[in-house]
Amino acid sequence: MIYFLLVTVTLAISFVAQEFLPVLEWAYYARMLLVPAAFYCGAVTVPYPVMLILATATGFVWDARYHVPVVPPNADHPELPFGFTIFLFGLMGSLIQGVRPLFRRGRWELPVLMIGICTLASLMIEYLVISFHRGGLFLSPEMWFKMLMTSLFSMLAAPFLLLLFSRLARWSGYRIRLEGITRKYSYGDSV
Amino acid sequence: MSRINIVFLIAFVGLLVWVFLFGQETVQRVQRGAMTFFKPFVAGAQKVEDAITEFGKEKPSVTDVQAQLDQARRERDQLRLEVLRMDELAEENNALRESLNYVKNSPLQLVPARVIGRKPSTWYNTLIIDKGHDSNIAADSPVIVPIGENAGLIGKISEVQGRDSSVVVLLSDETCQVSARIQGSAEQGILSGQRGALRVMPDLKLKYLSKDAVVEAGREVISSGAGDLFPPNLLLGKIKDFKPDAITGEATVEPIVNFDVLKHVFVILPDTLESPDTSESVTRATPTSSP
Repeated sequence: MIYFLLVTVTLAISFVAQEFLPVLEWAYYARMLLVPAAFYCGAVTVPYPVMLILATATGFVWDARYHVPVVPPNADHPELPFGFTIFLFGLMGSLIQGVRPLFRRGRWELPVLMIGICTLASLMIEYLVISFHRGGLFLSPEMWFKMLMTSLFSMLAAPFLLLLFSRLARWSGYRIRLEGITRKYSYGDSV
Repeated sequence: MSRINIVFLIAFVGLLVWVFLFGQETVQRVQRGAMTFFKPFVAGAQKVEDAITEFGKEKPSVTDVQAQLDQARRERDQLRLEVLRMDELAEENNALRESLNYVKNSPLQLVPARVIGRKPSTWYNTLIIDKGHDSNIAADSPVIVPIGENAGLIGKISEVQGRDSSVVVLLSDETCQVSARIQGSAEQGILSGQRGALRVMPDLKLKYLSKDAVVEAGREVISSGAGDLFPPNLLLGKIKDFKPDAITGEATVEPIVNFDVLKHVFVILPDTLESPDTSESVTRATPTSSP
């Protein structure tokens, strides 16, 4: 329980830190999406129900802060509805839970890669929804570059976040281990 | 999948549907609350970003500095530095006076605002300004900057986030569409940004022109006032090129304003837009300079 609270506090801090992360002009205004990266890293360390709770809370606060209700001409509703990030976090969190057993065995490579893929996929889904509303799919090289750079930045942050979460787990006595897996693979004992 | 996972998944979907059904007012209330909490960080972050940008700029080499120093000494001897400084001040004074004149002479009710956040969104070209409900700003209010004795449109208010903050969706965004015409011609069309245009100065598109239109590069594009959302004769940009197709024509327009360097803007209060004199207010002179 203490670990889950620590993850929540880390996510809250990441929201504040996100404000201070600048956009990079040379990368077509890409930026490190620290909050989603922290959520995906947290999602890989917690059980499925806790991940869903975190997805709801993180997605809600993200939309409360960053949702822009831009209503296109001749439409009544915003292109991306309020709460869409909750859906994306739930979906991506469910995907990332698939590599949780690997992470519990101490393998970080695939989870880190998955965090980048999930970031890219969530950006892509948002863009596709926007394109669907506006009609016609238009993907410029700049758009690809921006999405790929954003994902790369998330991947760069991921190992440090995973390290932080494993340290927090050890400090709080939480074992990031699969039910039924032998003790030697658990972080609580080996890290 | 275990039973507890299924229960939580069902609860998650239920919550998600509930959030999706939030009305506009509820969403605004939630976002207002969030902005109240995050505003100190937003303002602080902008200062940090400015400092970092300044730090990253290329510094002159020692040789350059030495040359500049020699130059400055020579100029000091001839009192030229003082003259240059005075010229600079006079120029700045004139620019500020022009802005002030525009604001004073305009029958439009203008609210000055400071840009406190840039590019907060991934997909939309937006700014955050430090004026909101307290200044009677409403959604869809046009946002302008004075250019000489005229005004350039930079976008419209997308959302009033709180008592003292609003989101401006820029003209470079595809969703900000303005009824526009080419100055000195009867050609009218719809001006908007382009999806995926992420350059510093993204070009705009003026659509639905007639395919046989004679459109010369360099011609100014101004708002036509049709639709009553934006006042007429606000400067929008300059024609770069024109491409006719089978039915209509489309022109590429270079924006009149560099959206990345905006620090102060003016919001036109919606009440004044309904005034019949509005069209006269912004038609005074053809601008000769851009910011």
